[in-house]
Amino acid sequence: MAEALAKSEFTGTGHAPAKSFELFARPTAKTGLVGWLTTVDHKKIGMLYGGFAILFFLIGGLEALLIRTQLIVPNNRFISAQLYNELFTMHGTTMIFLAVMPLNAAFFNLLVPIQVGARDVAFPRLNAFSLWVWVAGATLLNVGWISHLVPSWNFGGAPDVGWFGYSPLTSKVFTPDLSTDFWVLGIQMLGLSSIVASLNFIVTIINMRAPGLTMMRLPVFTWMALVTSFLLILALPAIAIALVEVMFDRNFGTNFFEVSGGGQPILWQHLFWVFGHPEVYILILPPMGYVSEILPTFSRKPLFGYPIVIFSGVAIGFIGFGVWSHHMFTTGLGTVATAAFAIATMAIAVPTGVKIFNWIGTLWGGHIVTRVPMMFALGFIWMFMLGGFSGIMHAAAPADAQQQDSYFVIAHFHYVLIGGATFALLAAIHFWFPKFFGRMVPEFWGKVSFWLIFVGFNCTFFPMHFLGLNGMPRRTWIYDSNMGWNEGNLFATIGAYLLGLGIFTYFAVLVYSFFKGQKCGNDPWDARTLEWSIPSPPPEHNFAAIPQVHARDAWWYEKTHQEEIAKEKAANIKAEEAHGGIHIPDQSWYPIIAGMGLLFGTYNLAQLKHPVVMFGNQVLGSHAPLAIAGLSIVVLACYLWSLEGPGGYHIHLDADGNAKESGGYHH
Amino acid sequence: MSSHAATIDHHHDSTTSTGIPNKKLLWWAFLASDCMFFGTLISTHLVYRLNPPPGNAIPTQVFNIELTSFSTFILLMSSLLMALAVNAIQRGNVRSTRTMLLGTMFFGCIFLGGQVYEFGHFVHMKHMTLSNSLFGSTFYTLTGTHGTHVAIGVLLLGMMYVRTFKPAAGGGLSMNFLHMLAVAVAAGVAFIVFVPGMIEIIYGAGIGEFLSSHAVPLSVGAAACIAMAWFARQSSTVEFGEKNAIDVEAVGLYWHFVDIVWIIIFTAVYLLEYL
Amino acid sequence: MTRTRSAHRKVLRFAIALIAGFSLALSSGCNKLHQVFSLSGPQSTMVTEGPVAKSQWDLFMVTVYVTTFIFIVVGAVLAYAQIKFRAKSDADEHAAVPAEAGHGNPFVEIGLIAGSVALLVIIAIPTLSGIWYTHDVPEAERGNAIDVTATGYQWWFKFDYNAEMMPLPGGGEAALVTGNELVVPAGTPVRVHLRTIDVIHSFWIPKLAGKVDMMPNRPNFVWFKADKPGYYYGQCAEYCGESHAIMRFRVIALSAADYVKWLANQKQPARTVTVQTAAADAALPHVQFASLTLNDGRAFGGSPGFDADPLTAWRKIQQPAASENASLIAAGRKLFKDKTCVSCHTIRGHDGAGIVGPDLTHIGARSSVAAGALENTPERLHQWIKDPEYFKPGNKMFHGFGGMQGYMKPDDKGGTVPNIVLNDQEIDALVAYLHSLK
Repeated sequence: MAEALAKSEFTGTGHAPAKSFELFARPTAKTGLVGWLTTVDHKKIGMLYGGFAILFFLIGGLEALLIRTQLIVPNNRFISAQLYNELFTMHGTTMIFLAVMPLNAAFFNLLVPIQVGARDVAFPRLNAFSLWVWVAGATLLNVGWISHLVPSWNFGGAPDVGWFGYSPLTSKVFTPDLSTDFWVLGIQMLGLSSIVASLNFIVTIINMRAPGLTMMRLPVFTWMALVTSFLLILALPAIAIALVEVMFDRNFGTNFFEVSGGGQPILWQHLFWVFGHPEVYILILPPMGYVSEILPTFSRKPLFGYPIVIFSGVAIGFIGFGVWSHHMFTTGLGTVATAAFAIATMAIAVPTGVKIFNWIGTLWGGHIVTRVPMMFALGFIWMFMLGGFSGIMHAAAPADAQQQDSYFVIAHFHYVLIGGATFALLAAIHFWFPKFFGRMVPEFWGKVSFWLIFVGFNCTFFPMHFLGLNGMPRRTWIYDSNMGWNEGNLFATIGAYLLGLGIFTYFAVLVYSFFKGQKCGNDPWDARTLEWSIPSPPPEHNFAAIPQVHARDAWWYEKTHQEEIAKEKAANIKAEEAHGGIHIPDQSWYPIIAGMGLLFGTYNLAQLKHPVVMFGNQVLGSHAPLAIAGLSIVVLACYLWSLEGPGGYHIHLDADGNAKESGGYHH
Repeated sequence: MSSHAATIDHHHDSTTSTGIPNKKLLWWAFLASDCMFFGTLISTHLVYRLNPPPGNAIPTQVFNIELTSFSTFILLMSSLLMALAVNAIQRGNVRSTRTMLLGTMFFGCIFLGGQVYEFGHFVHMKHMTLSNSLFGSTFYTLTGTHGTHVAIGVLLLGMMYVRTFKPAAGGGLSMNFLHMLAVAVAAGVAFIVFVPGMIEIIYGAGIGEFLSSHAVPLSVGAAACIAMAWFARQSSTVEFGEKNAIDVEAVGLYWHFVDIVWIIIFTAVYLLEYL
Repeated sequence: MTRTRSAHRKVLRFAIALIAGFSLALSSGCNKLHQVFSLSGPQSTMVTEGPVAKSQWDLFMVTVYVTTFIFIVVGAVLAYAQIKFRAKSDADEHAAVPAEAGHGNPFVEIGLIAGSVALLVIIAIPTLSGIWYTHDVPEAERGNAIDVTATGYQWWFKFDYNAEMMPLPGGGEAALVTGNELVVPAGTPVRVHLRTIDVIHSFWIPKLAGKVDMMPNRPNFVWFKADKPGYYYGQCAEYCGESHAIMRFRVIALSAADYVKWLANQKQPARTVTVQTAAADAALPHVQFASLTLNDGRAFGGSPGFDADPLTAWRKIQQPAASENASLIAAGRKLFKDKTCVSCHTIRGHDGAGIVGPDLTHIGARSSVAAGALENTPERLHQWIKDPEYFKPGNKMFHGFGGMQGYMKPDDKGGTVPNIVLNDQEIDALVAYLHSLK
């Protein structure tokens, strides 16, 4: 069991840390503002990701409702063309980068370390850094809204170039205001955050598995987190470079996408979609993971065809890099390239279909308990299947020439991203809420919200297939009354309000449950993976003893082999105590300082060539000194961070499993 | 844990599931990601090289292939020194590790200095700027990104070097910071002023003229070097040792990677033009 | 657990009530539920009027058949599993669980994979043939095809008839140019070369052909053929900035004879109305526009009469109006010059050599103005000239473009001040003039 003990060490280098340098005393507050700002605990970081993501999910939803309200009748003058363009740009950007991705990140943080039987991620401070960089990016993206409230902060409003930012619309010639600069740097920050977080999860999943937890015993969700992390680190560089090129074009006169200098805007599309298509799988693979955990639990049966589900997930990841140009069928790729990408796109439908077959196989012969998470998971299968079918329709390139950039496409990807990703996320939130808050969500209101969301969603998006086939293009602020689109749009808007009501109910019920929900034990759903073996909410150290894994569905095995496991556990606790107790890393100020330094730096970098004006007086000729100051904070924080060392202290458990801290050894 | 073990296994870490130390795995994953960064930059460069707009710069008229070949050679040699540094620390030889780290940094600075000279030369003599041709845009962005990687590598090596002096007794943040500052300033002066100046001199510029026109930065650099020597004099026991081999090795991974990337860039951007 | 089960029933009742109430509200409130799923609008991709659009729709239907088949099979199995294997009692919800590890069944898995691949091949084959067919005019018809260049501007389309060259007054020649309305012969393949002057636009006439983008520095083209004479709606399908929604165009397909007549007229320089010609034209059929029904007096689109039969309406507008006021028209022509309209617009044979805005030589014979946003009636043209910013926010006529001043011009303080000011009488004169340009 020495091996197991060793895994409770975070640094992994196997030597006692020496005394470290100090500038600030290391924060020790576990609660309150300081506790949250300096935390390195994966569960708290996960909560912060989740909280911010839900906030932006609601903001993005509000943007969607404003869009639908504008479209409720033809030639509506509810909002201006400019505001409409900002709204659809920010709706897309928000939902992808600030809602679904961070919600997935929240679950990575909350679940992955526990599912692999670890006490934290491999690099806890780096994990906190990812979070704060994400906050910086989210802030930059949304900072432009202030122009609508305070006209003297003239950023030109929120970004209005579309979430895809097709060049040359992003050129200074066509969007001279600052909104595009904020968009470029905001996305850049979010990308940085995702890469850093993904590196952390890759190391955590590959290297920090509990003894006995072989790769083919990993929970499916953790597997999907691993595949997603690889997709992120390999896909994001393409857009990062493309964004740098746009930034250079806008600020330093380069010609990457400047048509007059010989730039080829098509290159932006290639670079964007080389990232953008894997991004689709980045959004959907973790939800496939949630569903693959929830279905077996409520079917009371192991997942059908586990290895094939895993391999198909990996296959989706691989093929996902070879289909990007199907977003560009109308850009004149030529016949051969179009044919190749059409075939590749059809090929990717196979592993996706395989997953659906295996989920049905999981239900088959089970005892299906239709609790709320299960209802969302079943809804996911149905809706995702429909989204998949319209996806196949798009793979037929000539047919896609009619659907591309029409409402048909909107219907398609909302079926995949709401019917798919969001349904699964709502299932996951409901499923793991008791684990992390120790309270159940009332079934009745959960089901009400499910039906509102299900009906509202279909009313909103099903008619859009027909609007698209009837020739309604996307991203249009108004439409004419003679086009046959009036009824479909009215119907969709009413559906959107219903969907909004459903989402409101869903989160209102969560808030209620947070305060008043029925308390629950370790394992309210009679579930299968390791997180259900520990108390709800989990203690800081997760596990009293690092678990020994004997099978897939490790907790199910523990439940069915209680005596064997009890003996093992007692021995492990003793052995660990003999080695100084449970090691917990210290909190740190530097991740948030570095993150906020980056925010300050990039906020000023976006306005690089504009004079700094304070209270109507010009203070500086350009923002360059401030940008440099911000980036210097980052460098300095990283320097001090590296000197500070991981630090840490030990927890000792008494016979009842209650924790007692012993002094940190960095003092 | 096994902090007092007589031998440290540098090829297997028993605390991880795979035996690969976490730090090393992190670097490997990062390098995979970094491959995609360079892949994107190189593709951009080649796409525009194959579809040049009218009036694009003509690479063979701009390049100074002898100088670039020389600095490529220097960068390759720096990898050798880096490998020796890792080898030294794995044997627990801190003194030799320091020498090799300094040598690697110095070679890195020669390479960077070559690039600073090259950029200045291209802009002022060949009139190819970042913005006046698409070739300039892709060339400077690609090689500049690589140069930034080398510069970050030099900085990391500098931090590692300074770290080897950390006293076992702990403390000394201000000392560490000043030492780091001296290293950074010395390296900065070396590659921004000194090495490009030396190249100018080799190409026939006057030594006296160079010394007088860059007196201030050169004296600052000299002062930084003296400071480095002063900081390096201390002989109290240090905390750094064989157990830190993984840290040196991790930076080494990065350094070798940056080197390999340069071989690809040198081939794709420079050599291909002469085929 | 019993509590949950009763809650479950409650939810079910609630859901049924909700869905029933919702559909009732919709069917009574909207009263035309079938129109929600309508597919017969002017931009319908289903009502195809040419071989390219038809091949695209046929392929689409293949995908619909295949996916519907899969949906029925998989959906049936899924629904069956959901109902059949539902836990029926509390005991069932805690039933002992089979111990097998759930490796799946390799035969089932491989069979399903093979089946999916086979179904995808059914889609792949027509996809491949469709890619080549829709790419370019078929070999056999290529000699017959006419070539047109369409250029996207923020936010309107310019059309050059590459083969229809006309001598320029100063020597040399130039292609015939129109704006926002592309007139083509029916039954003849048309290859449209797609260019853009600024950002990416996309050229889409749903009833004739799927879209192809207008990419900067990239010579794309699309081809289509209209089966019979008709009036087709098109629209920009790539987000291109503030007024992307109002970047529309029309394709008018004519019989071969009508097309030749139209071309001949288009090649004529601008029509000049004098007192004598006005009297002579009075005998021509009088154009009567359908009455307008506007929500706020300034809504978009065509009148119901126009929408009912746009091609006939288009034919009518080719004829001069019965009562033309020669002096008003002459005043309009003078204003067109004095108010600097000529710096952006060309009226060939009259004034102006501007190329920033659409060529207006035959504007009077076009059925729409403002890039397909408004029917070209005197009222609508008046409204458009009076307040272009209302109809097309961000448009260059109002804001100016590339140093050219529009209705507004920059002032010293970084703001803007009015540049072109027109009163209603002046606009009436301009409308009379522009409408005389048949």
